[in-house]
Amino acid sequence: MTEDLQELLFALCAAPGTPGDESEAARRAAWELSDCGETEIDRMGNVICRIGNQTAQQQILLDAHLDQVGLIVTRIETNGFLRVDRCGGTDRRVLPGSPVTVFGKEPLTGIVCCMPPHLTECGEDKVESVDRMAIDLGLSTEEAQELVSPGDRVLVRAPQKRLLGTRITSPALDDRAGCAALIRCAQLLRNQTLSCGLTILLSSREEAGGQGAQTGAYSLEPTEAIAVDVSFAAQPGVDPAKCGKLGGGPMIGMAPILNRPMTNRLLELAKEHEIPYSMEIMGGETGTNADEIAVSRTGVPTAMVSIPLRYMHTPVEVIDTQDVAYTARLLAEYVKGVD
Amino acid sequence: MADLALLERLCCARGISGCEEEIREIILEEIRPYADCVEVTPLGNLLAFKKGANRAKTKLMLNAHMDEVGMTVTYIEDNGLLRFATVGGIDRRVLCGKPVTVGKGIPGVIGAKPIHLLTSEEREKSVPVKDLYIDIGALSRQEAEEAVSPGDPVTFDSLFDTAHGMIKSRALDDRAGCAILIDLLKKPLAYDMLFAFVVQEETGLNGSKTAAYIADPDAAIVVESTTAADVAGVPEDKQVCHVGSGPVLSFMDRRTIYDRAYYQMAFDAAKETGVSCQAKQAVAGGNDAGAIHVSRGGVRTVAVSLPCRYLHSAVSLISQKDFHEAETLIERLAEKIAGGE
Repeated sequence: MTEDLQELLFALCAAPGTPGDESEAARRAAWELSDCGETEIDRMGNVICRIGNQTAQQQILLDAHLDQVGLIVTRIETNGFLRVDRCGGTDRRVLPGSPVTVFGKEPLTGIVCCMPPHLTECGEDKVESVDRMAIDLGLSTEEAQELVSPGDRVLVRAPQKRLLGTRITSPALDDRAGCAALIRCAQLLRNQTLSCGLTILLSSREEAGGQGAQTGAYSLEPTEAIAVDVSFAAQPGVDPAKCGKLGGGPMIGMAPILNRPMTNRLLELAKEHEIPYSMEIMGGETGTNADEIAVSRTGVPTAMVSIPLRYMHTPVEVIDTQDVAYTARLLAEYVKGVD
Repeated sequence: MADLALLERLCCARGISGCEEEIREIILEEIRPYADCVEVTPLGNLLAFKKGANRAKTKLMLNAHMDEVGMTVTYIEDNGLLRFATVGGIDRRVLCGKPVTVGKGIPGVIGAKPIHLLTSEEREKSVPVKDLYIDIGALSRQEAEEAVSPGDPVTFDSLFDTAHGMIKSRALDDRAGCAILIDLLKKPLAYDMLFAFVVQEETGLNGSKTAAYIADPDAAIVVESTTAADVAGVPEDKQVCHVGSGPVLSFMDRRTIYDRAYYQMAFDAAKETGVSCQAKQAVAGGNDAGAIHVSRGGVRTVAVSLPCRYLHSAVSLISQKDFHEAETLIERLAEKIAGGE
C-alpha cells in the first residue's frame, strides 16, 4: 500500500507545474483520477473530478493545489545568462549553486549563479535577492535567445528519494502530497455508493494567490468543502506549538474562518477510526485555499486538513507517506458519513 | 580524446578527501591493462608508470587529484538529524536545501527552516554550517545509527549533463583532470612517464606532497580545474579566465611561482597543436603544484587547468572543447618536457 502511494507521489511530483503553468501536472493528475469519475481540466487549469451522487442536496468539495513554487525568466542578458524572478514563494537561500531546469523550447540544465563571495560586500553571509542572481545555461546569447523566452518557467532540480522508514523527499510535495491524498481518497470511494455528491478539485495558482480555488469553488458551488494542504512538521528552529509531526497523521485545522462542526466531525472520525492526528490552531487566516473557498458566493462551510511536511518551499521537501494514507482515510470516512 | 562516458563514471562516483577508494578503484580498473607498473602509496595515492618509445630525458610526473569537496557527519542528534562539517572549501551559501548522499549510499537532504517562519533578516542571510543538518528520514538517534555513523562521508547528489557542448556535473574538480590523465596513459607514449592520481588535495595537498616524494620527478604537470569567474555581474578584470577559451596556464598563484620556461613552453605546445589557450589572469587559488614544486630538492612544475565555473558546489560547468583541447596541449607539453626541451 505504502509502495503504491510512494509511486503515485513520485509520479505526481515529477510533472512540472509552476503557478499558471500547471498543464503537465494537471494532465498527470487527471489521468490518475479518470478511473474514479468524470474528469476535466477547466479554463483556469484546475483538474475537476466528479464522483458520487451529483444531484444530491449535499455536494462536498475536496481541494488540494496542483502548483509548486518556482522561478520565471524575466530577461536574457547579453552574455547568455538569464535573469529571473520568483514565481510563488521560493526561498532564495536554497538557490545559490543549485542545478535548475529551464523549460524553454527544450528542457535545459542551468546553474544558479551568484556573485563570487570575494566580490561582494557581505561575502558568504548574505544571500542576494533573486533579481541579482542569474541562471547559467552555458549558452551564447544567440543560443539562449533561440531556446528561451521571458516568461519561461524554471524549477530547482532535486532527485526524488526514499529516505529511512516511510519518509520520502521530492520537489513539489507542497501540495502534490495533498493531491495524492485526494486521489487516494477517490480511489477508496470508487466502489462505494455515496448519498452525497463529491467533487475533487486540484486547483491552480495557490502559490500565486489562490485564483484556481477561487474560480473553481465559484463554478462548482459546493455545500461543504475541505481544503487539503501541507503544513509545518516539527524540525529544529521551529516553534513546536506551530507544528505537526512526521508520521503523526493529518493536522486538523482550527481557525476563525473554518467551520467548527465540520472540524469536530473530523476529530471524532479520527478517534473513532484510530487515525493519528494533531491539531493546528490559527488565530487568523489559514494561508491556504480554505480562505478563498469559504467566502465563495454566499459562503461555504469549510474545514482544513494538512499533511505535515519539513523544509517547505525548498526542493528537498520531506513527508512521511503514511501521513498521506491517514489523510486519505480520514477524508473518505468524512465523505461516507455525509447524507 | 577522453571519453565523456568515463568522465561521467568518475564524476558520479563519490570520493571526498580521505575517502577516495571508489575513485581509485575505477582508475585502477581503467589503467591496469596499459600501465607497466602501478603502486598504491601509504596515503592512498595511485602511482602508475608507463614506458614510452624512448627513455625520458627529464623524469616527468603528471598529476591530478581524485578527491572532491564534501562534508562529513560529526554528530547524530536525539531526533535522528545529522550534524556535519565541511571537507574542503565550500561556500556555505550553496549548502542549504541540497540533496546529499551519506555514507554508503544513504539518501538525505540538507533542510532549511520554512520561509514562512523566517524573520525578514533571516530571509537574506545564508545559514551558518553550525545551524544546518542532514535529514535522512530517521525519527530517532537509534534509527539513524542503524544507517550512518559519525565520520561518514557526505557528497552532493550527482547530475551529469552534456547538452550544447558543455559539461555540467558534480566533482569536475578534479575528475576531469583524472579523465585526461587516464586517456593519455592509454595512448602510446613517446617517452616514459609517471602518472599520479592523488588524494587529499582539497584538505592540504597531502597526497601530492607524498606522491612527489615517492616518485621523485624532475618535472611535473599538474592537471586541474580553476575558477572561471566569467559570470553575470562580474566585471571583465575580475573574471580570471573564460569558459570556452581553451585550457588555462598559470604563471603564479597563492602557493606556487611556476617554472617560467615551462609556462612559455605550454603556450608553444598550444600553438604547435593548433589549440586555444589562455593565461590565468589573477594570482589566486592554489593546487597540488604548491606541494610538488618544493618536493625533495625542487621540481620544475607547470599547471594546465580547465576553466570551471561554480567550483566546489553541487554542480560545476566546463566546456567540452576546453576539456579536449587541454588533453591535446598536455600531451604535446609532456612530450616536450620528457624529451628534454
